[in-house]
Amino acid sequence: MAGEGGNSEADEKQNPTCSFDLTKLREKVRNYIDTHHYDSALFWADKIVSLSNGDVDDVYWYAQTLYQTGQYHRASKLLRTAKLDKTNSACRYLAGLCHYECKEWQESLNILDMVDNNKLRSFAPCLSESHIDTNNKEPMEHSINLLRGKIYEAMDNRNLAVECFREALRQDVYCFEAFDLLVNHHMLSAQEERELIDSLPFALQCPEEEVELVRFLYENKVKKYNKPQNQSVPNSLCALKENLDVVVNLAERHYYNCEFRDCYKITSRVLSKDPYNSQCLPLHIAVLVELKNLKELFYLAHKLVDLYPNKPVSWFAVGCYYLLIPDNIEPGRRYLSKATSMDRVYGPAWLAFGHSFATENEHDQAMAAYFTASQLMKGCHLPILYVGLEYGLTNNSKLAERFFSQALSIAPEDPFVLHEMGVIAFQNLDWIKAHHYFKEALSKVESVSDQIMVEKWEPLLNNLGHTCRKLKRYEEALDYHRQAQVLSPQNPSTYSAIGYCYVLMGNNIMAVDYFDKALGIRRDDTFSTTMLNNVMEALMIEMCPCDDMPEEDMQVSKKIIFETPESHKESRGGVPSEAEADSSSIMVIEELDMDESD
Amino acid sequence: MADISTFQALDLPPISKIKFDLIRATRECSQRKLLNSAKWAAEMSYGLEVQVETSQLRHQDREDFLKEYDQYTLAVSYFDLKEYDRAAHFVHDCHSSQAYFLYMYCRYLAEEKRKNDNASDSIGPPNKLENEQLKALKMELCKKYANKELDGFCLYLYGVVLKKLDLIKESMEIFVEAITQEPLHWGAWQELAGLITDKETLLSLYLPNHWIKNVFLAHIYLQLQLNEEAMKIYQSLAENGFAKSSYIVSQIAVAYHNMRDVDQAMTVFTELQEMDPYRLENMDIFSNLLYIKEMRAELANLAHKCCDIDKYRVETCCVIGNYYSIRQQHEKAVLYFQRALKLNPHYLSAWTLMGHEFMELKNTSAALQAYRQAIEVERRDYRAWYGLGQTYEILKMHYYCLYYYRQAQKLRPNDSRMVMALGETYEKLERLQEAKKCFWKANCIGDMEGTALIKLARLHEKLHEEDQAASAYTDYINEASRQGNYNPEDQSQAYKYLANYHLKLGQLDEAFTAAQKCSEFPETREEAKGILRDIQSLRAQKEGLSTPIRMDDSMGSITTERFHTNDHTPIGRLSPVNLKFTP
Repeated sequence: MAGEGGNSEADEKQNPTCSFDLTKLREKVRNYIDTHHYDSALFWADKIVSLSNGDVDDVYWYAQTLYQTGQYHRASKLLRTAKLDKTNSACRYLAGLCHYECKEWQESLNILDMVDNNKLRSFAPCLSESHIDTNNKEPMEHSINLLRGKIYEAMDNRNLAVECFREALRQDVYCFEAFDLLVNHHMLSAQEERELIDSLPFALQCPEEEVELVRFLYENKVKKYNKPQNQSVPNSLCALKENLDVVVNLAERHYYNCEFRDCYKITSRVLSKDPYNSQCLPLHIAVLVELKNLKELFYLAHKLVDLYPNKPVSWFAVGCYYLLIPDNIEPGRRYLSKATSMDRVYGPAWLAFGHSFATENEHDQAMAAYFTASQLMKGCHLPILYVGLEYGLTNNSKLAERFFSQALSIAPEDPFVLHEMGVIAFQNLDWIKAHHYFKEALSKVESVSDQIMVEKWEPLLNNLGHTCRKLKRYEEALDYHRQAQVLSPQNPSTYSAIGYCYVLMGNNIMAVDYFDKALGIRRDDTFSTTMLNNVMEALMIEMCPCDDMPEEDMQVSKKIIFETPESHKESRGGVPSEAEADSSSIMVIEELDMDESD
Repeated sequence: MADISTFQALDLPPISKIKFDLIRATRECSQRKLLNSAKWAAEMSYGLEVQVETSQLRHQDREDFLKEYDQYTLAVSYFDLKEYDRAAHFVHDCHSSQAYFLYMYCRYLAEEKRKNDNASDSIGPPNKLENEQLKALKMELCKKYANKELDGFCLYLYGVVLKKLDLIKESMEIFVEAITQEPLHWGAWQELAGLITDKETLLSLYLPNHWIKNVFLAHIYLQLQLNEEAMKIYQSLAENGFAKSSYIVSQIAVAYHNMRDVDQAMTVFTELQEMDPYRLENMDIFSNLLYIKEMRAELANLAHKCCDIDKYRVETCCVIGNYYSIRQQHEKAVLYFQRALKLNPHYLSAWTLMGHEFMELKNTSAALQAYRQAIEVERRDYRAWYGLGQTYEILKMHYYCLYYYRQAQKLRPNDSRMVMALGETYEKLERLQEAKKCFWKANCIGDMEGTALIKLARLHEKLHEEDQAASAYTDYINEASRQGNYNPEDQSQAYKYLANYHLKLGQLDEAFTAAQKCSEFPETREEAKGILRDIQSLRAQKEGLSTPIRMDDSMGSITTERFHTNDHTPIGRLSPVNLKFTP
């Protein structure tokens, strides 16, 4: 608890009204609090207050014990009747905290604010009255700022909340809670986060040897999805490498790099050491969703709900599990909304809630959910990206583009956004622009993954292929599709895209082969079926019946050779136009694939 | 580029060296639990009658391997009990090449086993898309490969994984690398052979110059249906000391089978059975031969024998399937082929044979499925392509049918059945020129069923190309009488056409013989009588005017007018064709 550490030295002053030596008893109370015997502490603290005739210090500790036993209103009342909330900042903080616990935001804020005014009015007399906060005034200030920030956040006043957190952090760079709230609730954009870290007065507040430590730990936490790079632990802090927190951050980086298997390996290792690591759990759930590891997710969700039914993450896990099972979207949605109602600012649940609508093509509801998420996570580009995606799917490319560029302004380096921009340009038939965006996304991806690209980028390569095909650069298109095939083998849409390229290149034999393969995996693919029919016919018309035909033996053979080229030209003219319309359906399918990136 | 296009005398090292190589290969492979390759090497080595110095057989294991010997041995014992996951778990942090390979191999096999066990009993395609684990393996191996940390055996495994993921080109490169590093690992050669679809691809590969390459070349020639070339290599291998090797002998038998030299193949197979009486490999091919020859008793005997040796082997199941098929119990046959596929879903001939059985049962969709699966396993199986063509023919999808027949024909360019099928399909599509070409080609490469010429003739007749039609009919009759084929319907048609044709041209003698033949058949007797009457009357007229005609050739045209024949073709032009006619 804030404020409990430094107070013991303050009570040297003996109270004249009491004949007892209360020092021993006071120590006893602290001891009880430390060992969580709050009721005993409460009993004796009460007695000490009476014995010392209402010493400020003793009242504070009495209130403290009341707070610990969950009697918030009683504690607040005690402090306020003694008017300590106006004179003593530690007591003011405690009173505010009590009302915060009761979710009485305005009340709490009033307490915190009132004193501020009071303080402004009579700053000088204050000093003499309070002897508790003379030597630790600063910590109280940052605690109050932190609390105020939390209240503002709860009251949906995010801008003020951000200011308060920032202030708290500046007052005490060790105040991780403020930092964590800023980062984990995505309140700042990547750039703002950087600026915040740079502006923190590490050198002033930390001993020299700790500057590096604090800085490293904070930097390790900031935005990982924005062009994630490999983390490097400085040599002097080697011992931290195995710290679970640092390890989880590494896992998160893997996650944003789409290296799900590596991420999974790390998170499962962390969870085997520390099964309910609250920071690791959401990440682990997300990675299980990506890997479609139903069995494990089922067990994990069960365990969580049994142990922590009051935590949103448990219900988030259940919701995710249901989303993974086909035709079970409805219950999934219910559990996700339960998670969001438990913690209004639980961003991942809002996003998943949005996905649950998006997969059922309910664009409006999905957008509403994404919008809420975007309000909650101002510094995160994902909700905006998804809103854009939904607009794109409802053929509203203008709005989609606007949202994408907004997302891009938050995360200018994210290849996902660039990719979606490309898709929109593709839908607008602007092949050159699309090609440009895809290329840029590809170069971003390549710069991150030094050796091998991950499977997730298969749609990007395929889309590049589609674009090159539209630009009539067939060889290049084929090359991209091949790369996509290597990344994610046995994908029917890649096969049919390759087949289509071959058709346009006039290589009907290969085309038939690839369409055949595509249909072997996905039977009901209308594009491949029609294409196969057309190409097969064209191929059979152009093909000579036997390869090593002894021509001179047959008088009629010359005639055949003259006939074939014409007829096959005619039939080929018809093929592409028909296919043109269909090819866009491939694109839509791939965009849907992209939805899941969370 | 190695000169593998032309066959030269085999360049083999001394046989003792080969034997030593093979012994080493057996050891390396069995250490890595590559059981089939080890078996192959041991078989080959056993067949070589030469002594190897015992001192050479001693072998020192590497230090890092011995350090991990405990884990390795434990894993191996689990592996032998088919507990792959468990085996993998105990070598997961080993570094020696054997143990690492075993680790990856166990993971691969565990996944394959799971997939196989989870596969549904129906003959639908195995769910190929559940390849998450394989993709993970691919990623890991890919990283190692990029760092050049893979040895020959791991490269082989990498290639196998790539192949499973349908990345054919990539896996081919990897296999070549694997072979270059570890030429004695026969499994890698075999996998590579499975990827080579034509001779051009084979020629474009850069293969290490090792004695084993000869064996590989023969193997691949056999698969590419270049049976003569394969036979040459096998025979010279046999002459060079491999005569006792059951592998070589069985391959020779298969080559005879592919060349449709049934009797020779049967003798070799019988010989093989004497050499290695409990051998089950290739026995299904033997049963195919017995099936073709309709030797029911022998087939039954073989089936019983195989069943005694091991009931649950793919080969046994195929033999039994064939046995039921010859007894017309097609449902039962299907059941056995299905069992074979349950045992090994990649067993090619079971898929193809099952397709045939489904065709017999008129279950076209199942047949399609089976044939497609066969092609999935082996793109070079012409019987499956042909079967697909036949199925589509039944479904009246002629363009598809044409495509599949064409594929089959490409794989076996000298098999008249494919060309005939092509021709018939062209005929159905009303593309008679192409059809004609096909029938002609079928005739040129040696028509097996003896129907090419008659079909060609009918086509010519249809197109009113009378001369060609007549020549084709005549050829047909000649051919039929030479081969002793007797098909009254076709022959009567042929004679009738010829009789009319000659009559039209006024070649009364030929017309007379043809008509007389014609009257031997009940269907055409009446018409023949009519023709004979016409000839008679024409003869009577001709007799009277014979002297003036013979006086001068230029008067020919006048005479024809007098005979009221419609034909304007000068007789002289036809004479070269006529020469071929007379029976």
